[in-house]
Amino acid sequence: MKSIRKIDAIPKLNGSWKFLDDYSYEEMIHGQLLYSTCHHGFIKKIAFPDGYNLSEFTMVSAKDIPGENIVPEPECDQPFMAEKEVFHFGQVIMGIAHPDRKLLREFISNTKIEYEELSAIIDIKECLENQKNAFGRELTIDHRTGKKPDPNWIHHHKIYYTPHQEQAYLEPQGMIAVWQPEDKIMFVRATCQCPFFVKEGVETIMSDTIKEAVIETSEGIGGAFGGKEDFPSLLAGITSLLSYKSGKPVKIVLEREDDIQITTKRHPARIEINSWTDPETKKIMKIDIDYRLDAGAYQTLSPVVLARGVLHAISGYCIPDAFIRGRLFRSNTPSNGAFRGFGAPQAFAAMEAHIDDIAANLKVNPYEFRKINIFKSGDEFPTTQPILEDHLSDCLECVIEKSNYLNKLKEFKEWNKTHKDKKGIGISIGYHGGGYTGNGEKVLNSEVKVVIKKDATVMIFVANTDMGQGAHTTLAQMFFEAIDHPREKCLVQLPNTSKTPNSGPTVASRTIYIIGNLLRKFAFKIKDELGFENLEDYVASNQNEFPREFRMNFVQDPSVVFDDENYVGVAYKDYSWAACVTEIYYHADTYQIELTKNWSVMDIGKVVNQKIATGQAEGGVLQGLAYGLCEFFYKPGYGRMHGFTDYALPTTMDIPEINIEFIHTDTPIAKGLGEIPMDFPAPSVRNAFHNATGVFIDEIPLIPERILGSIKNLELGI
Amino acid sequence: MKFIKPENIDSLLENLEDNKGRTYFLAGGTDLNVQIKNGIIRNPNIIYINHLSELNGINAANGSIIIGATTSFHEILESKIIRLHLPFFQKSLESFASPLLQNSATIGGNIANGSPTADVVPLLLILDAEIELSSKTRNRSIYLKDFFNGYKQNVMESNEIITKIIINKSAEKNFITFYEKVGSRKALAISKVSLAGMKRVSGYKITMIKLSVGSINEYPRRLFKVEDYLTDKTASEIDFTKVEELLDKEITPITDLRSDKEYRYHVCVNLIRTFINQ
Repeated sequence: MKSIRKIDAIPKLNGSWKFLDDYSYEEMIHGQLLYSTCHHGFIKKIAFPDGYNLSEFTMVSAKDIPGENIVPEPECDQPFMAEKEVFHFGQVIMGIAHPDRKLLREFISNTKIEYEELSAIIDIKECLENQKNAFGRELTIDHRTGKKPDPNWIHHHKIYYTPHQEQAYLEPQGMIAVWQPEDKIMFVRATCQCPFFVKEGVETIMSDTIKEAVIETSEGIGGAFGGKEDFPSLLAGITSLLSYKSGKPVKIVLEREDDIQITTKRHPARIEINSWTDPETKKIMKIDIDYRLDAGAYQTLSPVVLARGVLHAISGYCIPDAFIRGRLFRSNTPSNGAFRGFGAPQAFAAMEAHIDDIAANLKVNPYEFRKINIFKSGDEFPTTQPILEDHLSDCLECVIEKSNYLNKLKEFKEWNKTHKDKKGIGISIGYHGGGYTGNGEKVLNSEVKVVIKKDATVMIFVANTDMGQGAHTTLAQMFFEAIDHPREKCLVQLPNTSKTPNSGPTVASRTIYIIGNLLRKFAFKIKDELGFENLEDYVASNQNEFPREFRMNFVQDPSVVFDDENYVGVAYKDYSWAACVTEIYYHADTYQIELTKNWSVMDIGKVVNQKIATGQAEGGVLQGLAYGLCEFFYKPGYGRMHGFTDYALPTTMDIPEINIEFIHTDTPIAKGLGEIPMDFPAPSVRNAFHNATGVFIDEIPLIPERILGSIKNLELGI
Repeated sequence: MKFIKPENIDSLLENLEDNKGRTYFLAGGTDLNVQIKNGIIRNPNIIYINHLSELNGINAANGSIIIGATTSFHEILESKIIRLHLPFFQKSLESFASPLLQNSATIGGNIANGSPTADVVPLLLILDAEIELSSKTRNRSIYLKDFFNGYKQNVMESNEIITKIIINKSAEKNFITFYEKVGSRKALAISKVSLAGMKRVSGYKITMIKLSVGSINEYPRRLFKVEDYLTDKTASEIDFTKVEELLDKEITPITDLRSDKEYRYHVCVNLIRTFINQ
């Protein structure tokens, strides 16, 4: 629980740590991507502008690729660069490099591409409403009883929509490739989450022309939120090809506008729910969920997002008869990808809205209704995975009490009777399975390495990156606290694929949960093996044994057995649980919702570093609230937002009072924290708005223009 | 790109006489630099003016507050003179962009850039502000309401520059004031609608009212027709259907990436109603 200061705090404050664009190499030139402005069509002609000396430029396109023109992904269907046909706006057609960055930008912006345009699906609803657009593997979780619904049960049917969301990392995507012909090594400096994914990407595009790709991250990675999970593989491939062809180091840093327009976003979703509730017991007896994601033009990693989506689709309720169907839909827009929550925020946005819809219909307050239906130990998930603890219910009870929810319900009701503006309060709950889904961690077989030096310094080698979330501070802390070693003598090394074993990607709330707990075990194991009480004393008196290297692999708990064909079994060994209450103030004149307070209670198991954990939780909760309230990315007829002027991230002025509490912390296991704070808050805003006005809006975010459309004709009283 | 840094105001005005084609004055640069970076303005002729002390500062003289064109919003927000005489104006500008931009952006720049969303303009319009335009041969003052004549268009000659903004010291005196800037967030927002209002009420009767709107026409404007209708009426005498009818003649809200015309219209109506009933 010690709040140890982040190791990157001071070097980031004083500017001494380097982010990707701070690195420079001798003779380095600059690259940029020439991408399609057509949604679907054949490339007819690429016309470069006059007045430039073309021999100064290095250009690569699909035909220059010595290896495979396919980005390695869970579903390998996306090329690094388009060949004859482009399938979406933003698809990369060429990589172009020149010594002068500004001149290169002008050159690219004046390059004209002619297309023979073909029909394209660019609108989210057009994509998701038409079942003909479904592609890839359909996932189903079948927990049906085969019985017909009782005629007395009340049927509810609703369709919920969730939007794109932009990761909005501070540092845009960037890559530097340095071709070293003498030893045939392609060295890549990356701002990324998954160095080994980047390595695979470069080795796929370069094939036998290189012996090996070596990936090292920049010292500072300025945020990622999932956005730097797979796009860096594509970017690194093209940057490497440019370096190979030019013989010079090449740096590509995306302009913010390009980054916002062409890189991966959170998948928009259409989630249709049919439910049947027993009006006597107020229990939901049967549910049918149709979960659809707009994947973009290619599947890439969307099947994995879909998997997590369907596995979290039912939210935290015990519903005896359940059927969940998940499908990906194709559109002519850039592939959507990883974003904190990974399919779960969409699932909770729908199901937590639906719960309030049913409660309102049955005239039960949203808390009572949740309390009746929430799952408890002894119940099971639709995959038949048993629920082993009541911690979700504990989160709900705790947050209801802390927020004084029941009294506020009454108080706001009275206040609203005499005011044009309205106050509202809303609940939502959620959970997140830690680590890769199903058998994923078994397949990953993560390995970590530790080197203990002669001065008893412990060097930790893991592939997991610190992108500002504090992972390297916390991972080291888990090791040195286990054996009571001085913190300054325990450091995580900068990930480099030639020195670091593959401990897997920095995704899926697995860094602390899988790698951190592994390091903790590892520390105990080394202590047992060497038989020391104090590592420093031991090293001092056994100098000839050091430096010494130790390695250890992650071993999955044998109880985790998941049938990936039928979606039956244990999908995740440990879940983090959460519940929140959000208060809003609704401004009637401007149709704006102002967030006033949020209470979030989470069970993330052991809290390794209180300050870092609280920071992560506050940031995630805000990201989740903004997803429900204001982050609006695509407008039919007008397209995508261009930058942070239009894309309304909340500012510090917009942040409500956020109160975070962690419960059930008295356990040795630190569970996933990365994603859970983002998963659950969005629907609480929507539910609070209903509490304030009596109006349900089934599409987030609740921007004022959408609110006006929904309430224009409704009399709100006073 | 041509870049000139004149030594003093005379040399600046001299330069403007020889000026051929469009010139951009660079002060805070918060609009200009973005437009250059985004390629909206290419190879501009730039005259840097932020160092000219004649154009900077806030003074009270002869019943007026005079604000130099290159005075930053930060300076206005910190000014004791403004706080004493124009507290409503000062308070309203707190929602301008963010502290970083307030430090750099200038009042003259916000006007000259001519954006329909310029935050300072609706406020200056209801304060009946004047601006001084200077050239080598003459100085002339015009009311700000007469300055714009189209989207990003104004009456300034190619040899002129805005040097001062002049507001009557008692412009706010005995007025009930109203200002609401509606954006997608509380700071760093470009307004979707803004409404500035001042009124005097005697008994229940509105004896004088001034209203202006931003982001809703090709440039921020006073709502003179609505003002005329509301003057000398009590709240109960006001027919809101009539207000909406008049408003239709005075505003031309549009739908764009940022918002919708219906939204802009309804918010405008609601804010006027709230101000009248205040």
